[in-house]
Amino acid sequence: MATAPDSLRRARPLLGTFVEIVVPRPARRALCDTEAAIAAAFGAVEKVHRLMSFHDPASDVSRLNREAAARAVTVDAWTWRVLAAAVDLHRRSNGLFDIASAPLLQRLGLLPDPDARAPAASEAATRDAVELLSGHRVRFRHPGLRIDLGGIAKGFAVDRALEALRNAGLTGGLVNAGGDLAAFGPAPHAVHIRDPRDPRRTMGPITIIDEALATSGGRFDPFGSANVIDPAVVDPRTREIVHAVAGVTVRAPSCLVADALTKVVMIAGEAASPLLDHFHASALLVQQDGGVRVTPAWQDRRAA
Amino acid sequence: MSEWIKWTAPAAAVVSLTSSAYAVQYLSIPEAQKLAFPSATRFVETQAGRVWKAQAGDRVIGQFVFDRVIGKHLFIDYAVALGPGGQVQRVEILQYRESYGGEVRQGSWLAQFIGKTRGSSLELNRDIRNISGATLSSLHVTEGVKRILGLYGNSAR
Repeated sequence: MATAPDSLRRARPLLGTFVEIVVPRPARRALCDTEAAIAAAFGAVEKVHRLMSFHDPASDVSRLNREAAARAVTVDAWTWRVLAAAVDLHRRSNGLFDIASAPLLQRLGLLPDPDARAPAASEAATRDAVELLSGHRVRFRHPGLRIDLGGIAKGFAVDRALEALRNAGLTGGLVNAGGDLAAFGPAPHAVHIRDPRDPRRTMGPITIIDEALATSGGRFDPFGSANVIDPAVVDPRTREIVHAVAGVTVRAPSCLVADALTKVVMIAGEAASPLLDHFHASALLVQQDGGVRVTPAWQDRRAA
Repeated sequence: MSEWIKWTAPAAAVVSLTSSAYAVQYLSIPEAQKLAFPSATRFVETQAGRVWKAQAGDRVIGQFVFDRVIGKHLFIDYAVALGPGGQVQRVEILQYRESYGGEVRQGSWLAQFIGKTRGSSLELNRDIRNISGATLSSLHVTEGVKRILGLYGNSAR
């Protein structure tokens, strides 16, 4: 078995993947507290899902999509934080990171349409369309706007799970939501990145300490082949699925940032450098033609 | 603006996973039972190796169902804890065996089972974002949870 005797590993199927939590194995008398900390961390992931699911009619996201164009909607503090981060990323990426592309994804068949009779959204109206008000209230400036936090919520969930472990007094830990992961504490963690051009191969272990890592790939098959390994990323400028980049891995101080920036680098490629620098992030980019390129910061970390 | 650098993987760093199998033992059945029902004083087996009633004294506080589904190539053992009302309280992976390529990414569907009862509708195509990259292994766990909910979801008495 691959379980290291000095660590405790738990896994639950959440967020459409297997979320795994690894913490240092505690002394026997502290086992109960450690299990409680892990349960709290999984609980944070479940909470993020409940709040931000595009599909659950009771989620904050669904309530916003139904009502926020008509009136300000009060959301959970966590949802508000994710929206604030998304608005900031949208602005800083000149619109490349876009939580308002849900109608587009629905049209492409990437998201189900809960209300197919709704009038088509004005897709041009997504810029600055989410208004963040005091008291965790949110209003949409355009009718027909629909948001989907799928490109950022998983990273946020990993961050909240890690925070739960930290708040419980653990000295270290790693949370891995199907490849979007983050670690804290002094221990280094070796991570293998799958080669997006050939999922049977990995591209060497990289070591992460106290940071987050997220990966996005461009493989997409609209007919639901079992070989689909990743969600599609859509370029809001061309409204087409990105093909030039085979895969992107971003390391960043938080998993929310890493998760979101993978989508931007998928679309912008090397032009995403200033944005990566702003967020103290680095990236590895696998081009469809086989070239692999990294930012200097990535190289520095490898050498360090 | 910083220039990107061509990255050449050291040959030794490129690992071929074609024949690699991967297994993680997370929890034994008794460990998972205790975690799912900390207040239980005993677990009464009602179906050999598969279903247990969790009892606190004489009171039934839920059911523990062990199941195994095939992932992409190999088995994944998991357990579903059902509350006294037959609702899903917890789904935990006990053992994960997979040849590489088994992990899945993205989507957001399984947590929708948390709190679902047998009466609440749940359709794979409508409720579940399988299109966004859920591959076989987690989809099979999803289907397994659904099956367990149908079989045992209303009989926790």
